[in-house]
Amino acid sequence: MLRRVANHLYWAARYLERAEWRARLLDVNYHLLVESPPGAGGGWVAMLTITGDREEFNARYETGDEASVLGFYTFDEKNLSSIRSCVGLARENCRALRHRISSELWLEINTLYLDAQRWTPGDFAAMGVYGFFSELRERFYRIAGVIQTTISRDVGYDFLAVGRSLECAENITRLLDVKYHVLLPKLEDVGSPLDLSQWAALLRSASALEAYRRAYGNLIRADKVVEILLFDGSFPRAARFCIDRLGAALARVEAGGMHANGFDRVPAAHALGVRLRAGAAPTVIEAGLHEYLLGVQDDCARIGDQVSAEYLKFE
Amino acid sequence: MRFRVRHVTRFGYDEAAYESHNEVRLRPRESPGQRTIGFRLEVIPRAAVIDYRDSFGNFVHALSVHEPHRELVVVADSLIERAAPRPLDAPRHPFGEFLAGDALRSQLEYDFLHPSRYVPFSEPLKRLFWMARPRMNEQVADYVCRIVGWIRGQFAYEPGTTNVRSDLNHILHAGGGVCQDFAHLSIGILRLAGVPARYVSGYLAPTLEPGNRRPLGEQASHAWLEAMIPDAGWIGFDPTHGGRAGDHHLRVAVGRDYADVPPITGIYRSVGATQTMRVSLDISEPEDSASSPLDPGALQQ
Amino acid sequence: MELSTTASQAGRQAPVFAAYRPPAGMYDEMFSAAGGPHRWCAPVAANLLEMGSAEFASLRAQAERMLLRMGVTFNVYGQTEGAERIFPFDPIPRIIDAETWQTLEAGLIQRVRALNAFVADIYGEAHILKDGLIPHDLILESSQYRRGAVGIAPPGGTFITVAGIDLVRGADGRFYVLEDNARTPSGVSYVIENRLVTTRLMPAALRASRVRSVEGYPADLLASLVELAPGGISRPTVALLTPGPFNSAFFEHVFLSQQMGVELVEGRDLVCVDHKLWMKTVYGLRQVHVLYRRIDDDYLDAVVFRPDSMLGVAGLTAAIRAGSVTIANGIGTGVADDKAVFAYTPEMIRYYLGEQPILPIVETHLLREPEVRATVLRDLDRYVIKPTGASGGYGVVIGPRASDAELAQTRKQIEAAPANYIAQPVVSLSVHPTLVDDGAGGVVLAPRHVDLRPFVLMGARPRVLAGGLTRVALREGSLVVNSSQGGGSKDTWVLDAPC
Repeated sequence: MLRRVANHLYWAARYLERAEWRARLLDVNYHLLVESPPGAGGGWVAMLTITGDREEFNARYETGDEASVLGFYTFDEKNLSSIRSCVGLARENCRALRHRISSELWLEINTLYLDAQRWTPGDFAAMGVYGFFSELRERFYRIAGVIQTTISRDVGYDFLAVGRSLECAENITRLLDVKYHVLLPKLEDVGSPLDLSQWAALLRSASALEAYRRAYGNLIRADKVVEILLFDGSFPRAARFCIDRLGAALARVEAGGMHANGFDRVPAAHALGVRLRAGAAPTVIEAGLHEYLLGVQDDCARIGDQVSAEYLKFE
Repeated sequence: MRFRVRHVTRFGYDEAAYESHNEVRLRPRESPGQRTIGFRLEVIPRAAVIDYRDSFGNFVHALSVHEPHRELVVVADSLIERAAPRPLDAPRHPFGEFLAGDALRSQLEYDFLHPSRYVPFSEPLKRLFWMARPRMNEQVADYVCRIVGWIRGQFAYEPGTTNVRSDLNHILHAGGGVCQDFAHLSIGILRLAGVPARYVSGYLAPTLEPGNRRPLGEQASHAWLEAMIPDAGWIGFDPTHGGRAGDHHLRVAVGRDYADVPPITGIYRSVGATQTMRVSLDISEPEDSASSPLDPGALQQ
Repeated sequence: MELSTTASQAGRQAPVFAAYRPPAGMYDEMFSAAGGPHRWCAPVAANLLEMGSAEFASLRAQAERMLLRMGVTFNVYGQTEGAERIFPFDPIPRIIDAETWQTLEAGLIQRVRALNAFVADIYGEAHILKDGLIPHDLILESSQYRRGAVGIAPPGGTFITVAGIDLVRGADGRFYVLEDNARTPSGVSYVIENRLVTTRLMPAALRASRVRSVEGYPADLLASLVELAPGGISRPTVALLTPGPFNSAFFEHVFLSQQMGVELVEGRDLVCVDHKLWMKTVYGLRQVHVLYRRIDDDYLDAVVFRPDSMLGVAGLTAAIRAGSVTIANGIGTGVADDKAVFAYTPEMIRYYLGEQPILPIVETHLLREPEVRATVLRDLDRYVIKPTGASGGYGVVIGPRASDAELAQTRKQIEAAPANYIAQPVVSLSVHPTLVDDGAGGVVLAPRHVDLRPFVLMGARPRVLAGGLTRVALREGSLVVNSSQGGGSKDTWVLDAPC
C-alpha cells in the first residue's frame, strides 16, 4: 500500500472521529446547561476550557454566549477543529482516495460535507439543538456502519482503525481531564445531586452511561467513571480498549495484513498499552489523575509521530 | 601537448539536501586534434552514476545522490592530448558561392543557423550584423576571423556586467561582458550571415613560463565558438581573444548556446536550504606523460 | 431491459425509426443510400424500428443512470472541481462489419508500426531527416520534440505502446485517418463502460449480432506493458502514473489501474534512487519496472524537462537511460502525432516498412510552405485549420462555421507563425442515427456526425481493441466530437463473422 494512501485513510478516520467527539461534547454540554440551575458549572466557557480553544475563541468572539460557542464549534471554518472543518478535512482525505474507498462511504461523507456547507445557525432554531445533534450523531453512526460493512479488511482498514482509535483515546482523556477539574472543584461535592447529573452527562457524552450502569449500578462514583473510561477492556470508547485495538491493527499492518500478535515499529503504542492494562483508578486518582492523563496524551502524540514516521510520511 | 585538468565543484547547503539529481557535462569530447587519454569523475558523497551522449554528442554523467548531505563535491579529472590546430588551407570559398548552398545547409545545420535561447535574433543584433555583414567576394573563413576580431575590438572584457543566464542583448546593452557573451554575440552574427556557428565550452590552458610547470594567474572555464567552414568542417574561433582557437583551447562540450552545455545542472530537495557553489580549476602540463589522471588525488584543499 | 421485449410491449407507440431519413451527400453508418439498413445492421435496425419515443427515452435515461452510478465521469478543463459530468451516451450502437474491421485492423497496425519506427529514428540516427524526406526544422521546431530523449532506446524499440488513431468516414464510405494520438490517448474506459451498459440494456441484440468483446483491453494493456519490462525481469511491477484527481481523465486512470490490478501513483509517491524508480509504500520503497504514465512529457522529470514540475519524479529520464525502468508511452512520442508530421505519414509507411499505406489519410496542407499557404488563405473559409502541436480539438477552426472575425483572427495567426498550422479540407463526416430531444419533451432519431478512435497496443506484438470509441457530435450539424467540446459517445460493435 502506498504511504500517501495510508496517510489519507489515517487522517480521514482521525478527522471523522474528531468531528464526532465535538458533536458529542456540544450535545451533552447543551443539555447539561439546560438542566442546571443558572450560574452552575462553567457554562459554555467551561466547554472552551475542555477543548483548549478559549484563546482562539476570545480572539474572535465578544461574548461566550450559547449562540457564539455553538457557532464556533459547529460552523466556524477558521476553527480547524469545528465540526464543519473536521468534516471538510475528512472529506478532502477521502476525495483523494475516492477510487480506493467504497462508493457508499464516499457518498455518505460527501453528502455530510455538502450538508455541513449549508448549515446555518437557523438550523438550531428549526430543528432544536437536540434535533440537530442527534441527527448528526446518526450520520456518524451510519458512516461507521458503512465502513464496517463496505471496506475490505486489508491494511487500509487497519490504518482507518489506527487513526480512529488514537483520536478516540486522546479525546476521552481530554474529556476526563477537564471534566474532572471543572466538575470536581471540592472534595465534599462528591455525591451531591448536581455532581451526579454532571458525571452522568460526562458518561453520556462518551455513550458510556448505560455501560456504566450495567457494570456498576446506579451510583455514579468518580473512581468508577475513571475506571470505565480509561481502563475498561471491553467498552469501545475506553482508552485501553482503543489502544488495544490500535495495537492489533498495527500488528496486522506490520505482518502485511495477516493476523499477528505483536508489533515492534511503534514502541510508544506498546508502552501505552502496558500502562493502561496495568492501570487502576484508585491508585491513579491517588497519585494525581491530571498528571496521569497528561502522560497518556503525550503517549498518544508519540504514537502519532511514530506511526507517521514509520508508515505514512512520504514527502 | 598534454594537459591535465582537475575541475572541482563544491556545492554547500546550510540545511541538508537530499534526493539530489544532477547532469554533468565535464568529460571532454573527442574531436579532430583533441583526444581524451583519461577521465575520472569522483563524487562525494557516494552517488550512482550513469553516462550517455546527449543530442549534440557530448558526454553526460547523470548523478543520483539520495542520502541527506551538506556538501556535494564533483571532481572531474581529465588528461587531454591537444594537437596544434590545422591551418586553413582548404579550397577557398567566397561568400556568394557559399550562399548558393544555403537551402541544404539550413536543413542539415538547422540547430546552428537559427536563434536559440541565449542567441535570439533581436533587433539590436540585426543592426550590429548590418554593420558587420559579409562582402560577397569575402572568403567565409576570413569573414569569421574578421568578425571575432571586430567583436573583440568593439566590446570590453568586463567580468561582472553579465551572468551565466544573460542572453546576447545584455552585452549589446552593456558594451561589455565575458567570454560567454562574446561567444553568443559572435554566434548570432555568424548565424545571421548564414554561417553555422556553435557554442563551445571548455578550458583555456594557461601559457607557461619556460621551466615552470605550474600555471600562473587565475584559471576559469572558457567559452568560444566553432564555425562550419566549407570543406574544413568545424573550426574553433575565440572572440574573447579575437582570433582562432589554438592548441591551448580544450573543448569539453558543444551546443547551440550555453543552455545546452552547463557543466552541472540539477535539482535537490531540502527544507529551505540555500545552495552555494565554489569551483576550482587546476590545469597543468604533466611532467611525466605516463602520469595517470585516474589517480584520485587529495580532495582536501 | 431487452430491446425486443420492450419493443413488443410498446407496440402502440408511434415508431420513431420510421421517420428517420439518412441525409444526402454523407455516408450513413446504418442505412444505405437506397434507404434500407446496411446488411450488417439489419438485425439491430429491425429491433429499433419497432420502438417508440417513450422507449427510446427510457433507454437513454437508464443508460445515463447506469453510467452515473458507475461513476463514469470526466472533469472539464478550466472548470473547478464539482464540474464532473458524465460523457453523454447514445444507446444506439455503431456497427462495423467483420470485413471492414479486418482491413482497418491491418491498416492500424501498419500505421502504428511506422509511427514507432519514426519515433525510434528521430531519437536515434534520424535517417528520415538526413535522407530529406521530412525537413529538419519540422521536427526540431515541433513543440513535441524532446531533445532530452535523444539516445533513449526502449526495450523492443517500442516508444508508442498505446496509440489512439482517429478515423472518419467520408461520403465515399471509406475510412480516413484524421489524426494520430501517440502521447497519452484517453477514452478507452468509455469503450468498456459503454459496452457494460449495452450488455445490460440490449443483451439479446448484442448476442444475436455476435459482437466481439472489448473487456479484454485492460489485460491486453497489462500484457503489453509487462512485455516491455527491462530485460531479465520476469515479474515486473507495473504502476500507472496520474497527474491526480483534477485531471480530466482521472476516472480512466482509476478504472485502468483497478482493472489491471496495478498501483495508481502520483509523482509524490515515486522517487528515483540510484537510477531506479521506486514507489513509497508503507513497507518502504518498492521498485517499479514499468510505468504507464498519463502525464505529459514536460512534467515527467524536473531534471531534464520543466524544472518547476511537481507532477513527475526527478531523475526518471536517467533511470530510463539506465535501463531499470520502461515508461509507456516513451518520452517524445508527440513528434509522431504532430499535425504537420501527419502529412508525411503515408511516406513514412513506405520509408520504414516498404509497404503501401492501407488506410488513406485526410488530405493535409502544410501552411509553412508559401504556395500552399497562399492557396489556403485565398479560401480560408473552406478549410479546417489546426494548430500543429495541440490535441483534444483545442484551437481547431472550422472554416465554413467560423465567423468573419474568427477567420480574420486565424489568418493573422497563420501569417505570424505559419509553421504552427495545417489546413485540411472539411470532411463531411459520416452520420449515425442518434437519439435527440425533439424539443417537445420527446425523443426522436436524427442523423449526427460520428468519428472513431480505435486503440492499438504495441507490446511484443500488436493488439487492437475490437472497435474503439465512437464519438458523436450531439449538436445538429456539428463536426466537433471531442468530449471536452460537448460530444457524446456510442458503443461500437465489431461483428465477429461476415454476415
